[in-house]
Amino acid sequence: MVYMMGIASKFVGLLLSGAGAVILTYGMSKEGDWMLYVVGLFVMSLGLSLLTARRQPTEIHPPPPTVTEIHCDNSECDFREIRDFQRGDYVLKKLPAKCPRCGRPLTIHAIYVTREQAPSTAAS
Amino acid sequence: MLMQIPEGTELNQIINLAFFVFIVLMSLYGQRIQMWQWLKQIEGGLAELKRMREESRSTSIETFERYGRPHEEVESDIDRWLDFFTIMPVDLDPAGVLQRLEHLLNERRDRFGEFIAELAPDAQEAERQNLENVLEVTQVLDLIYRIVRHFYILGKRTGSTLIIMQVHMQMPELLRIAKAYYDAQEAFADGKPIGDGVGPLVVTRLAHEYGATAESYVHDVAREVGYYEVKVEGRIVYALRATGPGGTVGKPGFAVKRIIEDNNGKIARIITVDAALKLEGEDLGRISEGIGAAIGDPGPEKHAIEETATQHNVPLEAIVVKQDEAAAIGVMDKKVVDVIPEVIERIKAAIRKRTEPGDRVILAGIGNTIGIGL
Repeated sequence: MVYMMGIASKFVGLLLSGAGAVILTYGMSKEGDWMLYVVGLFVMSLGLSLLTARRQPTEIHPPPPTVTEIHCDNSECDFREIRDFQRGDYVLKKLPAKCPRCGRPLTIHAIYVTREQAPSTAAS
Repeated sequence: MLMQIPEGTELNQIINLAFFVFIVLMSLYGQRIQMWQWLKQIEGGLAELKRMREESRSTSIETFERYGRPHEEVESDIDRWLDFFTIMPVDLDPAGVLQRLEHLLNERRDRFGEFIAELAPDAQEAERQNLENVLEVTQVLDLIYRIVRHFYILGKRTGSTLIIMQVHMQMPELLRIAKAYYDAQEAFADGKPIGDGVGPLVVTRLAHEYGATAESYVHDVAREVGYYEVKVEGRIVYALRATGPGGTVGKPGFAVKRIIEDNNGKIARIITVDAALKLEGEDLGRISEGIGAAIGDPGPEKHAIEETATQHNVPLEAIVVKQDEAAAIGVMDKKVVDVIPEVIERIKAAIRKRTEPGDRVILAGIGNTIGIGL
C-alpha cells in the first residue's frame, strides 16, 4: 500500500513538473503574463519536490521474539517443541523435563530469531 | 524574462530586486546554507547515536547490578571503564609486531577479566564472559558517539566544509553499525547465541553426530579453546572450538598451532568454519568455500595458523556462512540455523575427498560461543 502511494506521488510529481514547465514557458513568452510565470514556477517546484521527496524512515519495530527449539535425545523420536527463550537457555543444554512421547531426556537444539529480510535486489 | 512583467510598476521593481538579492545571497552564502543543512542532519544522527549510547549504558548497568554490587558503584565504575583504551604497537619497525600485538591483547583481556570480576563478584565464569561482551557493546557505542560528536563540534567551530561533509557522508554507515551493536546487546545480556557463533555450532553438531559429548571435550588446549577428538569416516578429526556457553572467541589460532605441534606436523588438512560478512544483495546464510584461514582476529591468531600450516605444509581450507553485520552480532537467525546441516555435509565431503583414512584433520569452528554449550 505504502509502495503504491509512493509510485502515485511520483506520478503526480511528474505531471505537475510537466504542467509547471509548460505554464512557465508560456508565461515567459511574449503573449504570456507575469502571473503565469509565477504560477508556472510554483507548480513546477511543487512537482519537483514531490518527485525528489524521500519517504521518512519507518517507525522502529520491536526486535523479533527469540525462540528455543527443543528436541528429544532419542533419534527415533520426532518430538519437537518451540517455546519462547528463557534466560539460562543455551544450545545443547540438557533439560530436566522428559520427552512426553518416549520418556527420554530433552535437549535444546537451537535458539534463534526469524527476521524479516528486505527483498533481495540481486539478479539471481 | 522579467521583461514580460509590466515595466515601471512597483511590483516589477520589487521582483527585480528580489531576484538580484536571491542571486547575490546564493553566490555568497550558498555553501553556508548547505553546511547548515548538513549540520542539522548530523545533529539528527548524533541525537540518535546519543540515544543508543545512553540506552546501552543503562542496559549495561542493569545487567551488572544483578551480580552483587550496588547501583551507584556499578554506574561510576562502568563510566570509568568506557574510556579504557588499547594503544596499538608501533609498526614503523614491523619485525615482531604480531608478538607485541598479541602481548597487548592478552594484557587487555586480563584487565577486562579483572574489571568484570570486580564489578560482578557473584557471576559465574560463563556469565562473566557474557558481561564482557555487554560492556564491549556499550564501549563501541560510546566511542562512535564521541568521535562523531568530536568532528561535529570541530567542523562547526572551524567552519570546515571538508570535515562536515565527511561526517555527513559517513553518517548513514555509522548509524547502521551503531544500530547493529545496539540491537545485539540484548543477545549478550541474556546469553543468546549470535550469528557469529555458527562456526562453533557447526563443529559441535558434527562432533556430537560422531559420538562426542561435553565430557569428552578436551579443555584449554589454548586460552578458552578446546576440542573434541572424533573419528569421521576413518579419519581422526580434532573438532576445535572456544569453550561455551559463555561469550568468548578464545584463541583458536594458537590452539591449531599447538595441535599441529603435538602431532609433529602430521595433520592432513585444516578446515576453518566461520561467519563472513555478506555483500548487499547476497542471501543471508549463503555458504561459500575457499582456501585460507577463515578467522577475523586482529592478526596474531591468523598468523599462527598460516605460519604453522606453511611450516608443516598443511593445506588450509575455509567454509564461511555469509551474514550481514546485524545478523552476525545479533541473535542467530533461523536462516543461519537452517544451513548448518549443509555446512556439515560440505565438511564431510571435504574430508572424504581431500584426506585419506587414517589421516588427522583439524576442524576449527571460529566465532563467539555465547549461548552454545558443549
